[in-house]
Amino acid sequence: MQATDITVRLSRRKILHGVDFVAEPGALTAIVGPNGSGKTTFLRALAGEVPHGGRVTLNGHDTAHLKPWQVAALRGVLPQFTPVAFPFTVIEIVRLGLTAGTAAEDDSLPVQALARVGLSGFANQFYSELSGGEQQRVQLARVLTQVWAPVEDGQPRWLLLDEPVSSLDIGHQLQVMELARDYTRAGGGVIAVMHDLNLTAMFADHIVLFQSGRILASGSPAEVLTDETLSTAYGCNLRVNTPPPGSIPFLLPQVATA
Amino acid sequence: MTDTATVQAVEPAPVDRHQQARRTTLRLTLLLIATSVLSLASGASGTSLWSALGDLIAGRELALVDKVILFDIRLPRLIEGILVGAALAVSGAVMQGLFRNPLADPGIVGVSAGAGLGAISAIVLAGLLPFALRDLMGSHLVSLAAFLGGWGTTLLLYRVSTRNRQTSVATMLLAGIALGALSGALSGILVYMADDDQLRDLTFWGMGSLAGATWSKVFAAGPIILLALTVTPFLARGLNGLALGEAAAAHIGIPVQRMKNTAILSVAAATGAAVAISGGIGFVGIVVPHLLRLANGPDHRTLLPNAALLGATLLLGADMLSRSIIAPAELPIGIVTATLGAPVFLWILMRRMPGMRL
Repeated sequence: MQATDITVRLSRRKILHGVDFVAEPGALTAIVGPNGSGKTTFLRALAGEVPHGGRVTLNGHDTAHLKPWQVAALRGVLPQFTPVAFPFTVIEIVRLGLTAGTAAEDDSLPVQALARVGLSGFANQFYSELSGGEQQRVQLARVLTQVWAPVEDGQPRWLLLDEPVSSLDIGHQLQVMELARDYTRAGGGVIAVMHDLNLTAMFADHIVLFQSGRILASGSPAEVLTDETLSTAYGCNLRVNTPPPGSIPFLLPQVATA
Repeated sequence: MTDTATVQAVEPAPVDRHQQARRTTLRLTLLLIATSVLSLASGASGTSLWSALGDLIAGRELALVDKVILFDIRLPRLIEGILVGAALAVSGAVMQGLFRNPLADPGIVGVSAGAGLGAISAIVLAGLLPFALRDLMGSHLVSLAAFLGGWGTTLLLYRVSTRNRQTSVATMLLAGIALGALSGALSGILVYMADDDQLRDLTFWGMGSLAGATWSKVFAAGPIILLALTVTPFLARGLNGLALGEAAAAHIGIPVQRMKNTAILSVAAATGAAVAISGGIGFVGIVVPHLLRLANGPDHRTLLPNAALLGATLLLGADMLSRSIIAPAELPIGIVTATLGAPVFLWILMRRMPGMRL
C-alpha cells in the first residue's frame, strides 16, 4: 500500500503537508505521533474518508478509480469508535462484514471472528449494551469478517486500524495486537495508528512517526524509537530503555521530564 | 485461523431474527388480506359484500347501487388505503435509516408539510400555467407538485442538518419544525388567495382522509408509490450499513452518496404521492417501523417489506374506525392515527435507546 504526496486541509487549516508513505504486506506498520500530529487524519485519507490531495494505491490500484465494493474486498477499516443506530445484536453487526465487497457468504465466519476477539457468547447481546472496549472488539470482528483471508487470489488484504487498543484492558490489548501480528504473518498487511509506544515497540515491524502533519522519522522500532527522535516529536525528554534479554525498546513515563 | 469445531462448541447458537422476521412477513400478509376483506364489507350503506358475492357466484346481475358502492366507492378507497399506508410506513422506515434515528418521519420533519404546500400550490396556482401544460398533466399535476415539494424539503433538511458527513438529529428535528412552519405559512397564504371551488378542494388537506378516494386519484398516485416502493428493497443493505455511520458504510463497499440520493428521492416520491391523494396522515411512519423493530430487530431487508404490509393494514384499520365511531358521519383518519400514534412517539422518547443520540 502506497501513498504519495498526501495533503489534507480541514476547514482551511492544512493538517497534512505532502506525506509520502509505503506499507508492505506481511508487516505491521504503526503510525505514531503526538496528539494533533495528523496520524488519524492520515489513516482516514488512506481509507478514503477525507478529501485529500495526492494518490493512494492499494496493491497497485489507485483507490480513487476503484468501485466502493472493490476497495471493500481489499481492505477493512476499524474506526476509533462506532456508535450504532438501532438495536442491532452483536452477531448482526458482525454479519454486516459478510455483505462487504466480494466476501463469501460463509455464515460461520462471524462466529469465528467473535471467538478470535474473545467475545464468544456475546452473539445475541445488544451492541449498545456493551462496554466501549467490547464494542471496539465487536467492530474488529466485523472488519475481520470482511477481509478474513489475509491473502486472496494471491493479493494481500489490508487492515486499517485506528487506535485498535485504546479502550482495551492490557489482556485484550495483547490479544488484539497478536491478532494483528498473526494477520501479517499470514501475508496480510496491517496499518495501525497507535498511542502506546511500548505496544508499538513490541509488535510493529515498521514505525512511521508523525509530527505537525509531516513524517519525522520512519523505520524499524530500533531506528525510530530513540531518545532524540521521540523527545523532539513529543516535546518532552524521554529515555528509551531495553530489557536485558531482548532488544525491544521500552519507555517509562516515570523518567520522562517535560 | 482458529479451530472452528471448538469455537462453535462454546458459542450459543446465534438467534436468527431474520428468520423470525420472514415468518412475520407471512403473518402480516394474511392479516392484510383479512383486513382488506373486512374493509370491503363494511361501510355506511347497507350494501353487503357477502350477498353481492353470492349474487355474483349465482350469476345474478348486481343492483346498480351495490355495484357503485362496491366498485367505485369501497374498492378505490381500499386500494388507496393500502397504497398510502404502505407509502407512509416505508417512507418512515427509510427516513429513519437514512437519519439513523427512530424519530425521523416525513410527517414530523416537515416533508409532508412541504408536499402539502406543493399540492396546494398546484391547486391554487394551476391557473397561471399555460393551458396546454395543465391539460397534459391533468390529475398528475397535483401529485407531481406534491412530490417536488416533498423532495425539496427533504433535500434542504438533509443539507441543513449534515455537517462533515455527520447528520445531527437535533438540528434535523429543529430544521424540520422550521420548514414545516414555513410550508404551513405559505400554504395559509395560498388558501387566502384561493377561490371557493379551490377552497373546497383544499379543506380536506388539513384533515387527512381517505374519504375522497376515486379511481382517478388511485391511478394518479398509485404508479408513483409503487415505483418508490419497488426501489426500497435495493436500499435495505445500504441502510443496514448506514447504521454504522456513513464512513463505515462506505468501508464495507456501499456507494453511500448514490444510496442516500435514491433514498431521499423514494421517500419524497412516496410521501408526496400519498399526501397528494389523502392529505397529511401522521404517525404511521413512526409507529409501524418501531413496532416491527421491537418484534424482529432493525434489519432493513425485512423491516421495509413488513412495514409496507403493517402500514397498509394499520391504515385500513384506522379508516374503518374513522368510518364507524361517529357513523354515518366520518372522523378524519388523521385524528385516529394521531390519537394512537402520538402516545407511542412519546413512549419512544421516554425509553430512549442507549445507542440513540438526540
